[in-house]
Amino acid sequence: MSVTLSKLSLRNAQRQARDYLVYFVTIVMAAALLYSFNGLVFSQEVQFLSDEMKVLPLVIILASIVVVCVFGWLVNYATGFMLSRHSRELGNYILIGLTNRQVVRLFFLENLSAGGAALVAGLALGGLLYQILRAILFAMFGLPYHFSLTFSVPAAGLTLFYFTLIYLHALRKSRKRIRRMKIYDLIYYEKQNESIMIQKGKSRRRMFTVSILLGVAGTVLLMTGELMTGIIGAGCLIAALFGFFLSFASGVPAFFDKRPAFKYQGQNLLIFRTLAAKLSTMGIVMAIISMIFTATIMTEGGGLVINGIFRGRFTENASFDLYFAIEEEDRDPGPYLDYISEHIPVEQSVLYQVYLTGSPALRNYIGSRTVYPYYNYDQDPVLRWSDYAALRSIAGYPAAEPEPGRYLIHCMAYLEEPLRNYDQPVSLGNITLSPGSIYTEHLSQSYGVTNGYGYILVVPDEAVEGLAVHHLAYAAKTVQPVPAAQYDALQEPPVDYAFVSTKANENAQVAIQTALFVFPLFYLALALTMTAATILTIQQLSETERYRRQFQLLKKLGMDRREMARALRNQFAIYYTMPAVPPLLIGVPFILNLASLTEPGIMVGMNSPLVIVAISLGIFFLIYAIYILLAYTGLKRNVLPQSTEFR
Amino acid sequence: MLQVQNIEKYYGSKNNVTQALDRVSFDVEDGEFLAIMGASGSGKTTLLNCISTIDTISAGKILLDGVSVADLSETELARFRRERLGFVFQDFNLLDTLTIEENIGLPLSLNHRDPGTVQNRVRDIAQKLGITDILPKFPYQVSGGQKQRAACARAMVAGQTLLLADEPTGALDSKASKNLLEIMTVMNRDMGATILMVTHDAYSASYAKRVLFLKDGRVFNELLRGDRGRPVFYHEILDVLAALGGDVSDVI
Repeated sequence: MSVTLSKLSLRNAQRQARDYLVYFVTIVMAAALLYSFNGLVFSQEVQFLSDEMKVLPLVIILASIVVVCVFGWLVNYATGFMLSRHSRELGNYILIGLTNRQVVRLFFLENLSAGGAALVAGLALGGLLYQILRAILFAMFGLPYHFSLTFSVPAAGLTLFYFTLIYLHALRKSRKRIRRMKIYDLIYYEKQNESIMIQKGKSRRRMFTVSILLGVAGTVLLMTGELMTGIIGAGCLIAALFGFFLSFASGVPAFFDKRPAFKYQGQNLLIFRTLAAKLSTMGIVMAIISMIFTATIMTEGGGLVINGIFRGRFTENASFDLYFAIEEEDRDPGPYLDYISEHIPVEQSVLYQVYLTGSPALRNYIGSRTVYPYYNYDQDPVLRWSDYAALRSIAGYPAAEPEPGRYLIHCMAYLEEPLRNYDQPVSLGNITLSPGSIYTEHLSQSYGVTNGYGYILVVPDEAVEGLAVHHLAYAAKTVQPVPAAQYDALQEPPVDYAFVSTKANENAQVAIQTALFVFPLFYLALALTMTAATILTIQQLSETERYRRQFQLLKKLGMDRREMARALRNQFAIYYTMPAVPPLLIGVPFILNLASLTEPGIMVGMNSPLVIVAISLGIFFLIYAIYILLAYTGLKRNVLPQSTEFR
Repeated sequence: MLQVQNIEKYYGSKNNVTQALDRVSFDVEDGEFLAIMGASGSGKTTLLNCISTIDTISAGKILLDGVSVADLSETELARFRRERLGFVFQDFNLLDTLTIEENIGLPLSLNHRDPGTVQNRVRDIAQKLGITDILPKFPYQVSGGQKQRAACARAMVAGQTLLLADEPTGALDSKASKNLLEIMTVMNRDMGATILMVTHDAYSASYAKRVLFLKDGRVFNELLRGDRGRPVFYHEILDVLAALGGDVSDVI
C-alpha cells in the first residue's frame, strides 16, 4: 500500500506543479532568494570587504525571519487552498477504503515532494542569484569581480531549515483539518467556501466612508515622521484597507440596483458582478494583499530613499580624493601633512583657508527664499580665487574665468535659482565687489568644516586681507585611492584634531550602508510582491472552470469571441488593479515625504524623489506584470480556446 | 421557419470515424412545438447543437428563414444566436454571480438594447412566467423549477423566435417538470414561440405537437398529435419507443 501511496503522491505532486505552475515557480524563486541571501550570511569574502560588513549576516538573518514568515503564509494559504480544491478527491480516497491517516500522509507526501523539487530547483537558481548579489557588492566596493559558481553547504542547509519550518507549519494545519473531517465534509468541502457576506446598506455605506477617512488620516499620520503617530497611522491604514474591501464588495450590487440603466450597459453587468462575487468571498484576502503591496512600495521606496541619501551625500561631499580640515586656530596641520607626504603619493594639492565676510547677508537672503537648514556659519564663508582655482583643478572641473571687480558664488545646485536674483554688492575692507557668475559643481559643501554650507563666495586674493578665518583645509588629488588603513591612521591619535574625508572611504560607506539597509529591504520587498501576486493568481486561475462555463454560455447566448476576450480582459484588469490602487495612493505620498525629510540639495538627479517613486513603482509593477501576464495567458488559453468549439 | 436538409455529422479522426447524424431531414413550421426523442447516443443533442450553430455539420444544409447558417461568418453567427435563438438547458446554465433578473436581462444587454428599458422588459416576461417574486434572488437561492422558468424567460426576453430546449426537465422532479412543460405550452400557444425540444422522456414529449424519433443518427419515425388528447399521445409515444426496441426502461 505504501508503495502505491508514494507513487500516487508523486503523481499528485507533478500535477500540483503543473496546475499551480505560478505557485510552484514562486516557491522555486523563494528557495533561490533564501539561498542567495544565505550565501551572503556565510560568505567570508563578503565579510572581509569591511569591518562594518560583519553585521551583515545578522541583518540578513533578521530579514530572512520576516521573509520566511511571508513565504510561510503563502505556503499555508496555498496548501489550504489546494486542500479545498482537491477535497473531493481526498474524500474519494477515504470512500474507497483509505484511512484518514493515510490520506494525511498522501497529502503530506504530495506537498513535500513538490516543495522538495522546488527547493532543488531553487538552490540551482539561487547559485546564480548569489553571483549577481556578489557582483553588485563587489562593484559597489569598487573591487574586481570574477564569476565563480560555488555551492555553499551551510547556505543550502539554512535554506533547507527554513523550508522545513515553512512546510511543517503548513502541513501540520492541513493534517489537523483532514484528520477531523468526515467523508461528507471532504466531498462537499468546496461548498463551505460559498458563504457570501451580505451587509445592510446603511452600515456598509458608513463602513466605506469611515475606511476612506481612515485611509487619508493614516497616510497623513504616517508622513509626520514621528514614531508614535507613524504607528497609529499604520493602524489606521490597515483598518482602512479592510473596511474598504469588505464594504466595496457589498456596495457594488447596491450601486447597480439603484442604476439599472447603467447596470445593463455594455459589459458592466458581467464585469462588476464577477468582481463583486470574487471580492465578497475574498475581501479579507484582498485587504491583506493590498496591505502587502503597500508595504512593498514603501519598502522599495524607503530602500531607494536611503540609497539616494547616501549616494547624494557621497556625490556632494566626496569631491576630493583626500580632504582634511582643522577648525581650531592654534592647531598645526604639520603632522597630517607629514603623514601624507610620507605615505600617500599626491598628484596635486592645496592648503587653504576658509574666511568669513563679517556679515550673514547672503545666508539671510537664501534663508528667506528657500529651505536652508545650515546655520553653522554666522557669517557668509569666503574663498580666495587662487585656492578656488586649485580646488576646481583637483576636483577635475574645467577652470573658471576670473571676473575682476566681481565675486563668484559656488553653491549646491538647488540654491542656484534663488541666488541668481541676488544683486547686492559685497564689501570686504575697502574693496567692494559686485555679483558675478554662479557655479554649481559638487565641491564638498554640506559637511561641518568644508567649503561653506551650501554656498561659498569666491573673491580676488587681495580682498581676503584682514578677514577672520573659519577653518584651515587641505584637498588633494592622490595617485591612487586612499586605502582604508591610511584613512584610519589619519584618524588615530595623536593626530586626531582634524576632520578627515577620503573619496574611497565615503564610497565604502555608501556600499556598506546599501548592503546593510537596501539589500534587506529589497529582499523583503521581492518576497512580499511575489507572495501577494501569487495568491491573487492562484485565486484567479482556480476560477478557470467557472469562467469557462460562463463564456460557453455567453457564446451560446450570442456573444462573439472578440467581445468575450474584451470582457475577460476587463474583468482581469479590474481584478488586478483593485488591490494595487490603495497602495499607490498611500505609497507615493509616503515616498515623496520620506525623500523630503533629508537635507535639501542631496536628492537630485537619479536620486530625486520623483525618480525614486518611478523606480519603486517600476520594479513593483514589473514583477506584478509578470504574474498578471502568466495568469492572463493561462486563463485565456483555457477559457477561450482557439478550437472549433470556440470559433 | 427551420429546414434541416440531409445533414450528416461525423466525429473522430481518419482511422476512427463515428457517424452521429445520418442524412437527417425535417422542417419546423412557425409556431410549432416539436420534440425530438431518442435513447442516449441516438444523436439528438448533436442535432440540437448543429441547429443552434454551436457545432458544425459535415454535410447537408440547415436553413433558418431561408438562410443557410453554414454561410454565416463568426460575427454573423454570434448575432444570429443572440437575436434569433433562445436556449434552455438541462442544468439551467444560469450564471451564479448574477441575480435571476440579471440572468434574464443578459441577452438584452448583449444585444445592446437601450439599457433603460431592460428592467421593464425583464419584469414583463417574468410576470408572464410567474417568477416575479424571485427576480432579486441568486440562482442558488431558488428551486430547480424556478431556475428553469428563469432560463425560459431568458430564452425569450430578446424576442428570439426559436427556442431550443435540451432535456429541460432532466434535472427536475415530476411536479416541477409538469409546471415547466405547461409554461412551455403557454409560451408556444400564447406567446408565439417556436419550440424545438430534445428529450428522452415520453411524458415531456407528449406536450409537443409533433415528435421525431431518432435512432443511431437517423430519423426513425414521426408522430403527429393532431386533435388527440395528451394522455393518448403519450401512450402512442410509448408504443413507438417500444418498437424502437431495448430502450423502454431508458425512457419511462
